[in-house]
Amino acid sequence: MTAAAIGASFRPNELEVRPDGSGNLLGSLCRSCGAHFFPIREACAGCLSEDLKTVRFATEGTLYTYTIVRQSTPAFEVPYALGYVDLPEGVRIMGQITGVEFSDISIGMPMVLVLEPFGTSEAGDALTGYRFRPADVTSD
Amino acid sequence: MTDVHILGVGMTRFGKHPESDATDLGSAALREAITDAAIDPRALEAVYVGHVFQGMVTGQRILAQVGLAGLPLANVENACSSGATAIREASLAIRAGENDVVIAIGTEHLTNKFSGALTPDPSDPEAAVGATMPGIYAMRARRYMEEFGMTREQLAAIPVKNKANAARNPLAHFRKEITIKDVLESRPIADPLNLHDCSPVTDGAAAVILMSDTAAQKYANGRAVRLAASTLRSGSVDVEPTSMTYEPLTWETAREAYEKSGIGPDEVDFAEVHDCFSIAEVLRVEGLGLFEQGSYPWAVERGEANIDGRLPINPSGGLLGKGHPLGGTGVAQVVELVRQLRGEAGDRQIEGARVGLAHCRGGKAVGIEGAACTVQILIR
Ligand SMILES: [Zn+2]
Repeated sequence: MTAAAIGASFRPNELEVRPDGSGNLLGSLCRSCGAHFFPIREACAGCLSEDLKTVRFATEGTLYTYTIVRQSTPAFEVPYALGYVDLPEGVRIMGQITGVEFSDISIGMPMVLVLEPFGTSEAGDALTGYRFRPADVTSD
Repeated sequence: MTDVHILGVGMTRFGKHPESDATDLGSAALREAITDAAIDPRALEAVYVGHVFQGMVTGQRILAQVGLAGLPLANVENACSSGATAIREASLAIRAGENDVVIAIGTEHLTNKFSGALTPDPSDPEAAVGATMPGIYAMRARRYMEEFGMTREQLAAIPVKNKANAARNPLAHFRKEITIKDVLESRPIADPLNLHDCSPVTDGAAAVILMSDTAAQKYANGRAVRLAASTLRSGSVDVEPTSMTYEPLTWETAREAYEKSGIGPDEVDFAEVHDCFSIAEVLRVEGLGLFEQGSYPWAVERGEANIDGRLPINPSGGLLGKGHPLGGTGVAQVVELVRQLRGEAGDRQIEGARVGLAHCRGGKAVGIEGAACTVQILIR
């Protein structure tokens, strides 16, 4: 992907999109107890410390569970696969699943974060969001 | 401190009400509750009204309609627990000694506002990637099947049971029995959940009148049922990913209700639980400690949760059968408990019921495994 093709992040507080097309989900690390949170929080739910730091999360995780959504709001074209992916930091992230036949999705699959076009801004500019795809499938 | 008693219940038919709105429905439930309690409407001292999507001061509109405007009133929003939270607030006013007679109303007119899947608030990060409420429960169902070996047919047996109960409830949204095959062949919503696994979009309202010891002695004539506990908790932020097949929030809310009432889970005779989806009933009854984790689908197969079973669950038809008008739901559960405990439940009467439990739980925000949860324990 070229830099010019990358739209701005669909939600900059949660997804960092860099000009080279790479990106990470953003969250908070509690410097006091080490807990991680998604999205960014102002205080730690574990120890109430306010000494939190914004961090980039790892892009690999494991599929905890999933569904195929067949009825949704007008903002989303159905059907689409939706899952929860557990990241090594100890956060569980919901995201759509891409790059795999619905029938080949299974709990426990290793997954990787991918950045993809994800809707448009109010001004009509293309935005970049995230999905997960199975880690053993090569991107095209 | 005074006990809290419920005397006076009212409930509209649940279903589609194209000719009326949330104010009309709430007014009708209020009037019926006053008639049922056989009190002068002027005896009411305070009002709590639960609703979610009905806009500002719906409670005041109800009072204006029935000539009672001017009473202290709070509108309560707590997602699907709004009506149950209104009951809790009313019970606190009585326990605190502030009031002797308080009405809690829950009302919602949804069919003119929604069709299809409810979602978390659009600002939520999960809504932004395509979360729907059926989708989230479908994922919990998938995980439960993986962990405990529940089959799709076992899951389908829950709407079959609840709609059979609803068929015996003249106020229920659905009055037709269905089969497991009907569930499996209904329209897919979010795999593995189909249309019959999901509670419908429903209009309806319910009301209950709560009283102190003093007021109950004055009005009750032995018809009052004691509200032994009414507990509320809100969901906490997970410090690490937790099981989506077990509900600590439901257990903590229930544990507090068991402690306050002195009633253990083994003493509960029947329960109305928040079966917004088929899988939700499994997660609720196991979270409440009424059935062991990983056991409920098999208990349903054995008929244990039927009206004539060991521990009837959702004799009213539940949200799946009776319908789910968000704000109305928690109050309607308590109406069912009162009617069962008084022996006034008609074709769906549970023989000898003495202790009933109602559970509501609703709302979703990112990182929070359930926004608001309530448990009420009623004793005859
Ligand atoms: Zn901390």
